[in-house]
Amino acid sequence: MFSRLISAPCVLVSVLIASGPRAAAQQVPKSAPSALPRAAGGKPDLQGIWQADSKAAYDLQYHAAKQGMPAGKGVVEGGEIPYQPWAAAKKIENYVNRKTADPLGKCYMPGVPRIMYMEFPFQIFQTAQHVAIAFEWSQVYRLIRTDGKPPLHEGVESWMGTSRGRWEGDTLVVAVTDHNAKTWFDMAGDFHSDALRLTERYTLLDTDTIQYEVNVEDPKVFTRPWKIRMPLVRQKNIDRLLEYQCQAELEEAKGAFERDPRTWYPDPGAPLSPLGPPGVMPAAGNLAPVKTGSGLRRNADGKPDISGYYQSNAGGANYGLERHGRDFLTPGTRGVVIDPPDGMLPYQPWARAERVNREEPYRGYDDPTAHCFVAGVPRSIYVPSPFQILQPPGYILMLFERMSWRVIPLDGRAHIPDNVRLWMGDSVGRWDGDTLVVDTTNLNGKTWLNEVGDVLSHAARIEERFIPTADGKITYRATVADPIAYSRPWTIEIPLNRGSDELLEVACHEDNVDLPHLKDVRDEYRAKQNKEK
Amino acid sequence: MKSGELAFATWILLAGSAFAHHSFTAEFDQNKPIKLTGKVAKMEWSNPHAWIYLDVETEGKVVTWALETGSANALIRRGWRKGDLPAGTVLVVDGWQARNGSATANVSSVTFPDGKRLFAGSSNEAAKQ
Repeated sequence: MFSRLISAPCVLVSVLIASGPRAAAQQVPKSAPSALPRAAGGKPDLQGIWQADSKAAYDLQYHAAKQGMPAGKGVVEGGEIPYQPWAAAKKIENYVNRKTADPLGKCYMPGVPRIMYMEFPFQIFQTAQHVAIAFEWSQVYRLIRTDGKPPLHEGVESWMGTSRGRWEGDTLVVAVTDHNAKTWFDMAGDFHSDALRLTERYTLLDTDTIQYEVNVEDPKVFTRPWKIRMPLVRQKNIDRLLEYQCQAELEEAKGAFERDPRTWYPDPGAPLSPLGPPGVMPAAGNLAPVKTGSGLRRNADGKPDISGYYQSNAGGANYGLERHGRDFLTPGTRGVVIDPPDGMLPYQPWARAERVNREEPYRGYDDPTAHCFVAGVPRSIYVPSPFQILQPPGYILMLFERMSWRVIPLDGRAHIPDNVRLWMGDSVGRWDGDTLVVDTTNLNGKTWLNEVGDVLSHAARIEERFIPTADGKITYRATVADPIAYSRPWTIEIPLNRGSDELLEVACHEDNVDLPHLKDVRDEYRAKQNKEK
Repeated sequence: MKSGELAFATWILLAGSAFAHHSFTAEFDQNKPIKLTGKVAKMEWSNPHAWIYLDVETEGKVVTWALETGSANALIRRGWRKGDLPAGTVLVVDGWQARNGSATANVSSVTFPDGKRLFAGSSNEAAKQ
């Protein structure tokens, strides 16, 4: 009886489905192996935008509907998750308290495998060394080595775990370890411990279907290993991922992150600000050109190989783009603005005043990165955290250690509609000789350019040039045309250096101790202002 | 622990501002320098900042101070792992207190009671590099 109870999540209602039909029987590729799309190295080509076709995100087991939880067929082989008795009780407790206890409700990273079957699309990229997966949900990503080399930093517990991939014939097999004990499998409270070990198997059944199977082992919680299996379906009607910034949406909804009408793109119903026209890129030629290097490492397509782990050498750009002295806790810099030639940003008067005001301690709370929201463009390049560039076919993919990504298509496509605004904007890229040029529009105007609050509005158009000057060395230039905040376009230049390290995970929002302190400073200021009124 | 001292020192050189995701001057007060002696209660290996929680006894009362350092990832890259700073270790910490007056500070230096430095200075020293 007990095991029957825990096999159904809806134990509080009388809708009990005692034992779900068995999960889909093991499938074999529907297409002949020769008909499957294949990547350059001969392995099945998994590249594309996918989404799980299942209701596993709500409950891995066969379940009836509850409020906010559609009914669904189970994905667990054999129907039941083999909990140890104490864990079965814990799962029920989780289920009962799910509305407050689900870590996803706090926008914590979902972990693996949960991220794979949430109701958001994700994009798989494939190179000779890696499979990378970028998720629309909160810009989470996974970077999976497939070249046989072990991860550099093993044994470091994280929300998304450590993944190691290998090809077994035509199946991609990924071992996932180093999980923390804080994530759940689904909304129904199915859980695990830090002893969790997963073996994922990705098998292309036909051009548009991947069979996704996971073997789950956790001797602290389960009596035996168990399996889930579901199809991942190619999303043919989607040509790019958009964004669902979970924490930002949550904080905006509850008023903890306040709208700035001067820079934010207006939401429907929000008052329209007296805003200027969108930014127009200046004609090239007002800057001294940087010579691309000779003897660059090149990819099969002849383009420079700029892939790898990078750390920008931006000095204090994150503490001011203009020349600035150090204060007691932040370094000074000579400034990274190369145009205008005097190194000063050509602010509109209101924006300069805003920039000065943002340095007040009570404004520290307003910096989106203090909330652990994504840093945006171009700030993601020069925040003091590393990032990885990958060059899968047709794309440049950037993965930032602070858990965000940029997917930059190189196929000449147009930008998304003007009314669709994103934290990271919409980027499209092209090669201009050996220089990668990235054009970014559709910004939402919510990001700051650094901690002291250099201003960027939604009108900004940003052109970045990644100029490889030698193997592993890139001169990075970003020209920002933002007529709302500036009287003319301006350009920064920052050197990027390839390193030999590997990315780790930054669980910023999950571990954010600072924000309440910054809020105290802000609230104290506001209370004082109100008193003076 | 010894072999890691240099690593820890290097880490703190990169600490403070170097891994910031928020404004330090907004959170911490230049006019509130503090010096604390106490026992490590625990260390949180988090990002973008790791935190040392230090039990500090003042007039018979123990207050646990939260001390902000650099990122756990910077430590991990230097070979440190969870548990390398055991609870009970006595430390002397210099730093700046949070503006909100809570028992929170940004760490500038950490020494053992004999004056030997475990962590070296944070942002000021970083700026000199």
